[in-house]
Amino acid sequence: MVLETFHAVNFAEWIGPAAKVWLIAVVALLVGFALLRWLFAVLRQGPAAGTLSALNFLWAAAADLLLISPRRTLALAGLTIKESMRRRVVIVFAVFLILVAFAGWFLDPGSNQPARLYLSFVLTTTSYLVLLLAVFLSALSLPADIRNHTIHTVVTKPVRPSEIVLGRVLGFAAVGTVLLGLMAAISYVFVLRGLDHKHDFSAAAREQLAVMWRDARRNDSTQGIAVSTDRVQNHRHTVFFDPAQETVDEQGVRRGAIRTDTENGHEHEIQYVVPAEGEVQFVCSPPENHLLARVPIYGKLRFKDRAGKDADKGVNVGDEWTYRSYIQGGSLAAAIWTFENLRDDQFPDGLPVEMTLGVFRTHKGDIEKGVPGSLSVRNPATGDEAHVRTFASREFQTDLQVIPLEFQTGDGRTINLFRDMVADGKLEVWLRCVAPQQYFGAGQADLYLRARDASFALNFVKGFAGIWLQMVMITGFGVLFSTFLSGPIAILATGGALLGGLFSDFLYQLSQHKVFGGGPIEAMIRLVTQQNVVTELPPTAQTTVAKMLDKAAEQWMWLIWHMLPDFRVLSFSDHVAYGFDISWGLLAMAVCQTLAYVGPAFVLGYVFLKSRELAQ
Amino acid sequence: MSAEVVIETRSLTKVYRDFWGRRKVEALKALDLDVRRGEIFGLLGPNGSGKTTTIKLILGLLFPTNGEALVFGRPAGDVEKNARIGYLPEESYLYRFLNAEETLDFYARLFRLPRAVRRQRVYDLIEQVGLQRAKRRQLREYSKGMTRRIGLAQALINDPELLLLDEPTTGLDPIGIREMKDLILHLRDQGKTILMCSHRLDDVQDVCDRIAILHQGELKELGRVDSLLKVRDMTEIRATGLSEEAKEEIRQVIARHGAQLLSCDNPTATLEELFVKIIRESEEHPGRRVRGVA
Ligand SMILES: Nc1ncnc2c1ncn2[C@@H]1O[C@H](COP(=O)(O)OP(=O)(O)O)[C@@H](O)[C@H]1O
Ligand SMILES: [Mg+2]
Repeated sequence: MVLETFHAVNFAEWIGPAAKVWLIAVVALLVGFALLRWLFAVLRQGPAAGTLSALNFLWAAAADLLLISPRRTLALAGLTIKESMRRRVVIVFAVFLILVAFAGWFLDPGSNQPARLYLSFVLTTTSYLVLLLAVFLSALSLPADIRNHTIHTVVTKPVRPSEIVLGRVLGFAAVGTVLLGLMAAISYVFVLRGLDHKHDFSAAAREQLAVMWRDARRNDSTQGIAVSTDRVQNHRHTVFFDPAQETVDEQGVRRGAIRTDTENGHEHEIQYVVPAEGEVQFVCSPPENHLLARVPIYGKLRFKDRAGKDADKGVNVGDEWTYRSYIQGGSLAAAIWTFENLRDDQFPDGLPVEMTLGVFRTHKGDIEKGVPGSLSVRNPATGDEAHVRTFASREFQTDLQVIPLEFQTGDGRTINLFRDMVADGKLEVWLRCVAPQQYFGAGQADLYLRARDASFALNFVKGFAGIWLQMVMITGFGVLFSTFLSGPIAILATGGALLGGLFSDFLYQLSQHKVFGGGPIEAMIRLVTQQNVVTELPPTAQTTVAKMLDKAAEQWMWLIWHMLPDFRVLSFSDHVAYGFDISWGLLAMAVCQTLAYVGPAFVLGYVFLKSRELAQ
Repeated sequence: MSAEVVIETRSLTKVYRDFWGRRKVEALKALDLDVRRGEIFGLLGPNGSGKTTTIKLILGLLFPTNGEALVFGRPAGDVEKNARIGYLPEESYLYRFLNAEETLDFYARLFRLPRAVRRQRVYDLIEQVGLQRAKRRQLREYSKGMTRRIGLAQALINDPELLLLDEPTTGLDPIGIREMKDLILHLRDQGKTILMCSHRLDDVQDVCDRIAILHQGELKELGRVDSLLKVRDMTEIRATGLSEEAKEEIRQVIARHGAQLLSCDNPTATLEELFVKIIRESEEHPGRRVRGVA
């Protein structure tokens, strides 16, 4: 699980500083713009008339922005919607339908994590389609209106330029909303149906099931018998029996007693009927627990090195991503998560610790078995530590270890978790690697308490809300660019903003000189002269010039990186695909980010449109 | 005529520049004009003389290089004045994906009109410009004349006090031209002020009270049409039922007074008059009819 830790960010803590930075930027932008406008006016018309004209402009702008009429804005939004329909938005929808229809051929429900695969597919497909559409619609509309002179009949009505810009943004947002809504509904059905399957039992397995059932009735023990389902979608399950959970309904259908293990991220329930005569009938349920929205409680991560001393980080094992730090097996090294504000009423059934560990093997060991790890809890106040259990790690697979509320340690102590280990709501969870010469890798978000599960359907909707926000953001940029650029150029600019936002990481690294092969010009030279990216270029004048130009380019990229939105903050696809709840705080953060960009884009777009001679 | 000035331009000047800010065309040079309430004012001039430029400057679609234009005493860039203005562009630039009804409904929504009034006005205007049968068709299917009509309808959607008509008769058939002229006169009679421009002399002569003649962006002549056109040293006599002898007698009277007779003939109707008469008759009595062969 490689979700960045940003989903642990607290909205209440984030909003204050973020709003401050935003306000400073916006005020600087506004003041800068007003000064520029004034300077131009003074240069063109002289100091007195220029100042007057600049003040007039500001006055008119204030009126235009404050006295926006909903009626006219809605009329313009309606026009935008009709225009979008004429531009064959329907085609995008058709493309989506075709993609989904054929996706069944290349998406393998028998793969390791089919739910993740299916969810990633629908979320990625919809977001790319909708964002691409948003680029084209928003960037082309206003330039076409100006080129066809249709805008002349609009601006000679009592319409404010602000209403034209806002109407556009709202209209496109409405089109996108309907489109996304339809796509979300279809996606949901597609995922459910794509993952749906049932297992059956061979005749032998049926017999064994019947034996197991009879045994279980008699002495509550089913040891020694392992029953497997048949193989569907490339996997089979092992069946467990727990008669204590059984319920019977009026039709005589018995539920709850027979479940399967978890394979490929899901499990099944086996219901059965015991007829008066003949054999017991077993019926398999559709997959369960494969579409999740886990609500994690994250802890703070720190490390102990092999000698047991405190360390900021674990070991770096080389070309693994630096997000994870590694701890050495068979030593005193440990990864420690400290959790806060735990209450016993949150965890009536024990403390569910869920983890996804990276494993780095220096030797093969027993490749069939997982590298063993040990899980302990420690009271942060008293320093008292209790070993919970040793487990076999499953590399990069999510594993749930429930720490019981009461357990026995190896030396015979009985531990009451909340009484003995939790101090003032705080608890430490210690993870060690048992096998010598092997390593466990963990990052902050890799181990968490799975307090509860939220509704998957709601999480799915939130995931699409993220795409919706991205679409609104792109629409804002598109409309902004279209107020002063011609259609094709506006498309390029908007597309550039989209790419920059999607790959904002890369842009940052370019600007920080962290990419191999140097800046754009140097890279170009390397491309043309076919040189390797790590060797130094010969110290010629040419190289010096190239490096100087790159330096300038890097400054620009740094600036652009700072001005572009980070689209990853708005993309919740991973949350949905990996089964994590998108918290309301995260969603609120995304909404604020979107507004923080779309608001100024609207004002700027208005200023450009207002200053523009539309009939020129 | 009331003296209230509706449009005022003060040394209005427009220089078109290219992308780099270099001067390209001096389209309008220091124009001073007053248009008064209730009159039909005509801008007359050959192609490229700056008529459209003047109208666009008055509407705020272009920014003046120098001077200023005031409408209802407000600067041309002011939005609120637009509530009282109707504008028919040179070519009807309308949304081709809307039909006539949708078009008028859209423009009507841009004004503060109650729903019922809006509905009624859309209905009335479509009837007034004779597009009832085509009102559900997209404008992309319209002929030039039909587009012109719907363009006129959108200019009238707010029942404006002031109308700016750029070449209102181009693209219309003779009937349309006649109807357009009648409509303009009718609107004037309702008290509206009209500024129209045209390069067609007959249009301007037929409807305008006052005209300005532009050439290469300069104002060449300004005044009342009747006084501008009055030929003071000529007299026209028109009569009906005169016998040949009577005509001869008149000739002699003219000669006796030492004046010169320029012509004495049967007048020919203009082709426009003939055409309009035939079409009107045909509308009243449909069917095939061939008049005398010449
Ligand atoms: N957008 C423009 N850019 C450059 N020159 C223009 C533009 N519009 C009009 N002109 C020029 O300005 C002059 C006046 O044009 P216009 O006002 O359209 O004339 P009219 O309407 O009388 O035919 C013409 O020479 C024309 O070529
Ligand atoms: Mg013209």
